[in-house]
Amino acid sequence: MNAATRMFMVLSLATLFTLAAGIPLYAQNDQAFITYRQKVMSSNGDNMAAIGEIMKSSLPMGKNIVTHAANIEQTMLLAASAFEKNISAGATDSKPEIWADWKKFVSLAEAAADKASTLSKVAMSGDMAAVGPAVKALGGACGDCHKEFRKPKEESYKNK
Amino acid sequence: MRLFACLLLFALFASVSALAEGDATRGEYLYRAAGGCGCHTDRAGGGAELAGGRAMKTPFGTFYSTNITADAETGIGRWSDEDFIAAMTRGVAPHGRHLFPVFPYPSFAGMTRADLLDLKAYLFAQPAVRQPNRPHEVWPPFGWRWPLPVWKWLNLPLSVPTLPPARRDDPLVARGSYLVNALGHCAECHTPRNLMGGLRNGLFLAGSSDGPEGELAPNITPHKPTGLGGWSARDITWLLESGFKPDGDDVQGLMAESIEHGYGHLTLQDRDAIAAYLGTIPAVDRKVSKSSKNKGRK
Ligand code: HEC
Ligand code: HEC
Repeated sequence: MNAATRMFMVLSLATLFTLAAGIPLYAQNDQAFITYRQKVMSSNGDNMAAIGEIMKSSLPMGKNIVTHAANIEQTMLLAASAFEKNISAGATDSKPEIWADWKKFVSLAEAAADKASTLSKVAMSGDMAAVGPAVKALGGACGDCHKEFRKPKEESYKNK
Repeated sequence: MRLFACLLLFALFASVSALAEGDATRGEYLYRAAGGCGCHTDRAGGGAELAGGRAMKTPFGTFYSTNITADAETGIGRWSDEDFIAAMTRGVAPHGRHLFPVFPYPSFAGMTRADLLDLKAYLFAQPAVRQPNRPHEVWPPFGWRWPLPVWKWLNLPLSVPTLPPARRDDPLVARGSYLVNALGHCAECHTPRNLMGGLRNGLFLAGSSDGPEGELAPNITPHKPTGLGGWSARDITWLLESGFKPDGDDVQGLMAESIEHGYGHLTLQDRDAIAAYLGTIPAVDRKVSKSSKNKGRK
């Protein structure tokens, strides 16, 4: 057996092992996809909550909203990849309609990214009176998608 | 002296005309405080504003909201001020027809006469839409109108908890009580109902699993952890403006709609008043969850 053949055998075995290990991994991966996309969403929630704390008590950190909003904008652009895999069964509030009307889902994510970018710019200008309406506009974009593509809380996995 | 007489006359004239005609601008604010009357617009079906026809699923069947635009034939265009007040405060339409309490007149009964007339002026200033009302689809006996006077006798007037003595003279709390109980009609969704559909006043704002359209309306008494006990007054004020809860998630369904078209347009002071009032009501230990027999909505 020459070195090349040995090398070939080792590589083939390694490939086989990787594949074999990958099969069960793949099967239990559905929940990982779901958990990941929920984390993407809850990080939007965290940034929104931080913005809320600044707004409701007029904390002297209005400029920080620039970053929180930019975080939301960036995260919204991850929604398309995070939700691409069609999994509507399990501990998830995603409705099957997402994948029946995928284009609309993506466009709603883009619309929300757009509103987040506007909020970031408004916060940058320092005009706090204009920040409130821009936050509401972003909130409206979250709601537009939730209304259509997220199960109502009565059916949420969180209440099961 | 003559100047004084002139001023007096002017003041008299102004107040008389104010009495005769509601003020539509003030009326718009009251309309927002009442949550934007969203039930009268079939948003999902693309219906015209305030023209009715929206299905309200209840445990008793499906009610269809009515046309409250000023159209003379199909709306309320022919109603006099007294007709409007009778409907809003006693649940009686012209010709003595009793209205079902799915229309929250038990709450609106607490509105002042001036506010009712301003609200009417606002409604009448909106475009009139010709759209006939759709009959309700409700099981007997809940679909019968003749027992309604008995229902009223058993269930009205609404009683709200008395204020704790220390807060009784606080004008902010008094304003909050008017906003919550008369205008905002929060109890109509957030207080559970008895088998007759009457509000269970002992569980004031303690949450309902069968709210309108089958929605779950949470416990908003100051109980921790089942109600708003963990929320600050500012959390409540912010929710009513933005629709966001303290955890950064948004409210859905009818509450989101009531904020977008209604409560979200209130002044900061009025939203603070609502939060202050909610802090004074009895805390009720009650976790609301969806009953298995009535899953989902629509
Ligand atoms: C393009 C559609 C879309 C947009 C825009 C959107 N969401 Fe979501 N969101 C969803 C879907 C779908 C779910 C349900 C995910 C699941 O359970 O699989 C969700 C779930 C959530 C959750 C719960 C996550 C969990 O832990 O279960 C939060 C919080 C949230 N979104 C916040 C926001 C906020 C804040 C915004 C706006 C800044 C927003 N979302 C915008 C689609 C969207
Ligand atoms: C038309 C029905 C309706 C009316 C009227 C209404 N609510 Fe709600 N409310 C709801 C529903 C349904 C929810 C649950 C929304 C969700 O969690 O997605 C809710 C949620 C809330 C919450 C969030 C509670 C939590 O634990 O998440 C608060 C606070 C609240 N309402 C306060 C009020 C106040 C104050 C009023 C009156 C000024 C009011 N609501 C009037 C239906 C209503």
